[in-house]
Amino acid sequence: MSDESILFTYVAPFVGVLVVAVGIGAAVPGGYAIIQDDITTCDQPTIAVEGPEETSERFGETAPDLARLSYDELEPGEQEAFEEALEDPVGEARVAGTFPNGDTFRNGTIVVYEGERHYTTVVAENPCFIAPELQFPLGVFAIIFGVAGILSPPAYRKLVDLEEQANVDTRR
Amino acid sequence: MMNRAVIEGSALAVLALSILTLWFRARYKSRPASDGGYFTREELQFELGRLQDEALRWLTTTNHREIGILYIVFGTVAALWGGMDGMMLRTELLTPPADIWTPETYNALFTTHGLTMLIFFVLPVFFGIGNYFLPLLIGADDMAFPRVNAIGFWLLPPALLMARFGLIVQIGGQVLSIFLPEDQITFFLSLREVSVGWTLYAPLSVVQPNPQIDLLLLGLHLSGIATTVGAINFIATVIYERADDVTWGNLDIFSWNMMVTSSIALFAFPLLGSALVMLLLDRNLGTTFFATEGGGPILWQHLFWFWGHPEVYILFLPATGLMSLILPKFVGRKLFGYQFIVYSTLGLAVMSFGVWAHHMFTSGVDPRLKASFMAISIAIAVPSAIKVFNWLTTMWDGNIRLSAPFILCAGGIGTFIIGGVTGVFLAVIPIDILYHGTYYVVGHFHLIVVGIIPMLMIASSYYWYPIMTGRWYDRRLAKFQSGLLIVGAFVTFMTLLVIGGLGLPRRQAIYPAEYQFAQQIATVGAYVIGLSALMWLYNMLVSYWRGDIVQSTDPWNLKATNQFTREWQWFESRMVEKYDMEPAQPESTRRSYAPELEPMGLLGGVGSVAQNVYRNASMAAIAGFTGTFLMTGGIGTAIVIGVLDPSSFAEISELVGLGTSQLIGAALFLAGGTIIWPLLFLSFQEFLPGRRMFETGLVFATLVATGFSVAFYTDQQGLALIGYLTFVFVAHWAYGLGLAVTFQFLRSRRTDVGV
Repeated sequence: MSDESILFTYVAPFVGVLVVAVGIGAAVPGGYAIIQDDITTCDQPTIAVEGPEETSERFGETAPDLARLSYDELEPGEQEAFEEALEDPVGEARVAGTFPNGDTFRNGTIVVYEGERHYTTVVAENPCFIAPELQFPLGVFAIIFGVAGILSPPAYRKLVDLEEQANVDTRR
Repeated sequence: MMNRAVIEGSALAVLALSILTLWFRARYKSRPASDGGYFTREELQFELGRLQDEALRWLTTTNHREIGILYIVFGTVAALWGGMDGMMLRTELLTPPADIWTPETYNALFTTHGLTMLIFFVLPVFFGIGNYFLPLLIGADDMAFPRVNAIGFWLLPPALLMARFGLIVQIGGQVLSIFLPEDQITFFLSLREVSVGWTLYAPLSVVQPNPQIDLLLLGLHLSGIATTVGAINFIATVIYERADDVTWGNLDIFSWNMMVTSSIALFAFPLLGSALVMLLLDRNLGTTFFATEGGGPILWQHLFWFWGHPEVYILFLPATGLMSLILPKFVGRKLFGYQFIVYSTLGLAVMSFGVWAHHMFTSGVDPRLKASFMAISIAIAVPSAIKVFNWLTTMWDGNIRLSAPFILCAGGIGTFIIGGVTGVFLAVIPIDILYHGTYYVVGHFHLIVVGIIPMLMIASSYYWYPIMTGRWYDRRLAKFQSGLLIVGAFVTFMTLLVIGGLGLPRRQAIYPAEYQFAQQIATVGAYVIGLSALMWLYNMLVSYWRGDIVQSTDPWNLKATNQFTREWQWFESRMVEKYDMEPAQPESTRRSYAPELEPMGLLGGVGSVAQNVYRNASMAAIAGFTGTFLMTGGIGTAIVIGVLDPSSFAEISELVGLGTSQLIGAALFLAGGTIIWPLLFLSFQEFLPGRRMFETGLVFATLVATGFSVAFYTDQQGLALIGYLTFVFVAHWAYGLGLAVTFQFLRSRRTDVGV
């Protein structure tokens, strides 16, 4: 038997790599889905708040056809995010907790804060990642199974050596 | 949402640790362990001292080969970093909503992926290969300016750190935020990776407050200086440091290409530097170069792409140089069309500066200007195609050795053809307007940048591994890895071409659910590319310590085909000097082209070139006349039974401006068959399939018949069409046989007379 078996030298590891690649695609997001509640804050949309100058630049002095909200009308979570976004270098912040004005924000709105107009809108929804429960374990299994495939050429050569060794021993 | 900084930082740290562990484990296992393998205190101290010495040596070296290795290692690190960005953004695209990274993180990922790969991966690796091998190939002792060479390299690591400082600061901020209150570490929390796209289009890049953009601009500027310095060095080395017997006429193609690439870089990078400074000034000092009321955002696009498109050729030309150098070695034939390849490279260099606005077809540039850019963008396909045809012809009928470098060369040609042809479509304004914003563009250019470019880098790493390390890489793993890379690239980027063709917009973290399966296929393909890259790295690292030791001074048996080029001669002299090896002697040698036939040159014979040409041309004319005479029988019958319209001959006469005369047309046809086609046949017959001349004659006739059948088609239908095609092909085969057999007959008689 030749140790240059095409099946075990090239085909098996090729299938192995494909299985590993699919396994990574399943296991990484699958694993994230399991732990995302502990390590991240999903389902908290990001809002962007523009300064009064940018808002004037965007709309001029005309009154845009947008809903207007005063800062006091916002829920505490919304107020907190609004202030945080004003401080943020990029002008963005997450809304934690209830977001009753969410739809208004999604359309774009003018929030009046300390007498000045701020154009405010939702820039990312940040939804939670949803994955089937089996995705992670199956993904991990696929990676392990695929790695076995990738390692099949040296394993195969070892087995061939072993068999040849055994044959030699028997002949003796 | 996952925290990008932590995830990417951890992944890179794990990768770095694995590489170091692998390296030291391989090194440790390869040493003799007479004491049972335990580390003693003295040994540890010795090891530390050795590491200190090594570090000092590598930091201060001006040896071209060592700087070459530094470049390659740096480029590999950048590739792993930028590759990690790529894997992360592909992971986001597994699902339609932006539920793994935020859209901003996704934007940052494709921005840094592009910049890291294009600026810090590709050119440094090619400069590394050039540094190591170009002086050996041209017989120089070192690069022209060794210290400038070292400076050029050492500008790159700080440039990369500045360009990617956002990630480092983000990780730092998150670590510090565990111990310190947020208001004390505002700086660390204010920087983040740039997310405006790698093209840094104004006005977004001007108005975004992220200070990391400024650092990125400075980092890019520094890398531009490094590239310019390196380019000057390559040009000076090729011009002034060549050995006496290396002329412009026999300079190897890789050195030609490195010189042309460096020339392009010399014109392109200073312009990028200026544009970057202007952007910095706009951002920080209130200038209005790119402000809407000032120079305008389109000015940035012009400046950026005036560098950006030549940059494409800066990345691509060294790969073609490697292809032209490596491919012939594995098919046992001399490179076909050396001069054409050199001229096509020069042509590409000039034309690359005249196509930049094709990146701006969807902007408000004057349509008349756009049309001229469209014309040149289509025309630039010609020199690229010349290269492809020359490579194919080099392989044609060659004695192919299916080794890893060859597999990668073949894969590189394949991906380049698809990547290139899809680009020709994009050069057409109406098509570009439709597809500019889609994945079609991503698929197109990735088939080049994850096709011929890395494939030839890897091919050269395998080809020259014996020179660099004195050992062999794991050849089975290399073959496997090569195949894997090609499959991965095709699966990923062909899928992107298809979904782009269907209209899916690029640069979006969120996409419609119906594209999910295709995106998942592309992501799995991308993981395959990633795994293949890791396998290459594993092979390079482990084989350095555990690969089979090279036992011959000619490991690729290049002497057998007269292709033992200068770098191998240098290797041989080194092996003889160092290990007292016997210079390898092949069992047989032959000329490096026309493997099966006797080398025919201008179809053999003694005498001056002019005499040979005259003799061959006259024999060809007689042979051509015989062939045409035989062909006339077939064509005549076709006319008599009415499947070929004789009025088509009038079109030939019309074509050359002699009116619509069937008689003149037929005479011209006869003249063509007697003079032009036989001469073409003589020029190309060596490269047509077939061992015997009558076989190549038949192949030639079949090719010509295909053209004839299109040109002389006059709307025949049904049986008339079948009859037309049958007579056309049979008549041409008669021509091919008549031509080849008569020619051989005349040659054999001449040889007899000669004897």
